Amino acid sequence: MAPLLELRAITKRYPGVLANDDVGLTVDAGEVVAVLGENGAGKSTVMNIIAGLVRPDAGDILIGGRTVRPRSPRDAAAMGIGMVHQHFKLVPTMTVAENIVLGDYRAGRWLLRPGRNAARIEALLAELGLNADPATPVGDLDLGARQKVEIAKALFRDAGILILDEPTAILSRRECDQLYDIIRRLAARGVAVLLISHKLDDIFAVCDRVYVMRQGRVVGERTVAGTPRDDLVRLVVGGALELPERDGAQSAPGQALIRLRDVTLRRPGAPPALRDVTFDLHAGEVLAVAGVEGNGQAELVEALAGMLPPASGRIDHDFAGQARRPTAAALRRAGLGHVPGDRHGMAMLGDMDLRDNVMLTHFHMPGFARFGLLRRGTAAALADKVIDRFEVRTPHAATAIGRLSGGNQQKLVVGREMNHATRVLLAAHPTRGLDLRTIAFMQRQLLDHRNRGGAVLLVSSDLAEIWRVADRVMVASSGRLHGPVRIADTTIEEVGAWMTA
Amino acid sequence: MDDGLNGRRLREAGALGLVVLAGLVAAALFVMLAGKDPLATFRVMLGYALGSGNGFAEVVVRAVPLCLAGLGVAVAFRCNVFNIGADGQIVVGAILAAAAVMAVPGLPGPLALAVFLACGIAGGAIYGGIAGWLRARFGVSEIIVTIMQNYIAIQFLTWMVRGPMQEAMGMFPRSDRLPDGAMLGLMVDGTRVHWGLALALAATLIVHVAMRHSSFGFQVGVVGRNPLVARFAGIADRRVVVLAMLASGGLAGLAGAVEIAGLHHRLQDDFAPGFGLLAIAVALLARLEPLAVPFSALLFGVLHVGSGAVQREIGLPFPVVWIFEAIVIFGCLGLGAVRARTVRAAA
Repeated sequence: MAPLLELRAITKRYPGVLANDDVGLTVDAGEVVAVLGENGAGKSTVMNIIAGLVRPDAGDILIGGRTVRPRSPRDAAAMGIGMVHQHFKLVPTMTVAENIVLGDYRAGRWLLRPGRNAARIEALLAELGLNADPATPVGDLDLGARQKVEIAKALFRDAGILILDEPTAILSRRECDQLYDIIRRLAARGVAVLLISHKLDDIFAVCDRVYVMRQGRVVGERTVAGTPRDDLVRLVVGGALELPERDGAQSAPGQALIRLRDVTLRRPGAPPALRDVTFDLHAGEVLAVAGVEGNGQAELVEALAGMLPPASGRIDHDFAGQARRPTAAALRRAGLGHVPGDRHGMAMLGDMDLRDNVMLTHFHMPGFARFGLLRRGTAAALADKVIDRFEVRTPHAATAIGRLSGGNQQKLVVGREMNHATRVLLAAHPTRGLDLRTIAFMQRQLLDHRNRGGAVLLVSSDLAEIWRVADRVMVASSGRLHGPVRIADTTIEEVGAWMTA
Repeated sequence: MDDGLNGRRLREAGALGLVVLAGLVAAALFVMLAGKDPLATFRVMLGYALGSGNGFAEVVVRAVPLCLAGLGVAVAFRCNVFNIGADGQIVVGAILAAAAVMAVPGLPGPLALAVFLACGIAGGAIYGGIAGWLRARFGVSEIIVTIMQNYIAIQFLTWMVRGPMQEAMGMFPRSDRLPDGAMLGLMVDGTRVHWGLALALAATLIVHVAMRHSSFGFQVGVVGRNPLVARFAGIADRRVVVLAMLASGGLAGLAGAVEIAGLHHRLQDDFAPGFGLLAIAVALLARLEPLAVPFSALLFGVLHVGSGAVQREIGLPFPVVWIFEAIVIFGCLGLGAVRARTVRAAA
């Protein structure tokens, strides 16, 4: 019997890039198949072609052995293909039920009538384990719940083929497990699931087969059961991957650069995010903050960066001298770098080019402006240096940064911040959403900074990462910060227990 | 530069052309509705405004205040502050400038002119700064504040030229002639083109350098795009909002002072009718690019002067011209929305 979905010799060329080169794959009903690869390997192009967003230059798409040519997402939906994008396509001000029926004519051509389908919607939500009232605005849901709404939207259209693009990138550990459950249940009732990911955990948790892509080509296909992890890693990166290792001997914690005493943090109009925080950040160490996201880590980093004044207690930025109320600009000039967790919302401006994005945190630095006029040459030279040293793949330094892939945006942001982070580097989820090679590169940068005598505050929800690079760890949970304790004196299990305490 | 960027520029230029074309077609329809020949109308319009020396001089005269106020609007809009109050700022600038030279008579010429222009800038800056401060300090919508400020300023002018500042004769709602020393002379003899033209061009260059090459202009651009990124970058975003509104109001105030000093030589009722709203259209058509503002202002000058000629020679009612202007403004807004979408799609 023909597979439910088959791609044959799909080729797609963009100016200067061969995004897909002779790509072929098959998915059977009830099967969970992964497409694994680094950022820019061509995974998303494949998915967009299947979902009708992009037309291939050559090759065929077959559903149940019949050639199809989806010309739009609506076309694809009519053929039974549902896609859940990495960045959700939901309307935050509309309710769960409205979002599910939105764009589906069977729910009413001119008016949204979610009420007509209430029973079906409730059944779908129950199947997906979403305990939200269908009348809740989507904007009030957390990311995991929104993803379930996206899946419900696809299933409402009777999708027999479900494509998930990096579905676990923004999920917590617990939410990931829930998603894996859902995927298994959908497969059990015959849905073909195609999962795009660059995380090996996803592959081993839930997939039957995996296609590995590199530079636009499928370089390997494996049955997941019985395939060793290393084998997949080698396929993905095209060779062996050297993970950076913390070298205890080089760790020589020096004087305290930032000291916090009984600090309580709250955003205006919100309840306190963290209470009574006391710790020192030393030169020559990586101090990690573990914890489920949303437990005050963002507030902590902003406070250390001079963006959020503490509600009570005191923060002494000893490395910045005697400045009484240190501003973000003053701290940067004194040697602070800040890689925020919310890269898109905070660290860059998508429509500005790479040079101006470098200028963003440098315009008040000596050499970057004179008599109030910018010296763009200085920023351009620095941009070229960062592009070169951090291997930012971009057509040009004058390209709008929004046009780069997420990994390359992150490399530019980290490279820019490390340029002025001579003393302290605040890094929130610096490797999130990056591919294996880039993760290794970023972690090496953090360790190099520490070995040069800098201090790193690393916020991460990935305990493996923390164990690889951190000297000490704190845990943020229910408004408190536990620790810090030395990594050598604790275990992953102990820290994991604190995280959920 | 890569193809994508050039491609987008090309598409934008094409879209701009479409907007103008759509405006012309729509205007032609209304002209036909009024029972006149659209081609003859356009011929008269352009023939007088661009084909005759005197007509073009009048275009320039009209463009000068629109250029200055348009620059002001561009500065505020770049900061994502919607200054709808150029009308009020023009009026307050003119009142303060006139009041200053009337209060201190006998200043030597150049000093009187300097005081006049400086007070015009100060008046507009303070008036705009109020809206900026309310927005920065309390989050009050600058749109509502500046619209309300327009009514206050215009009514205040109406009262001033009938009350405290009315001419000695007490006949018309206007002040006495202001001292000659404080006024701008003619730049081109035989026309009404005054030295305000040079001021407008100088202001264009200064605003261009300030917005494109200065640290302040960079901060304005960052705050205008995303205040959170601005705070991340160590920019005092509220201060930048206030400063941008000071600059924006100051330029509008200068437009008011220049219009009095160069053209009317006395304060009078309704001396800049609707200039503030036109300035918004001027700035939008120029895509908030300072160097494009003078050209955009000239286009609106052509519309105004040409339509005057059309009214005289073809007997076409003036409101048809306003319809054309409104269509161009709608087109610019639509274009801005399209552009925002393509930028977001690219990101």
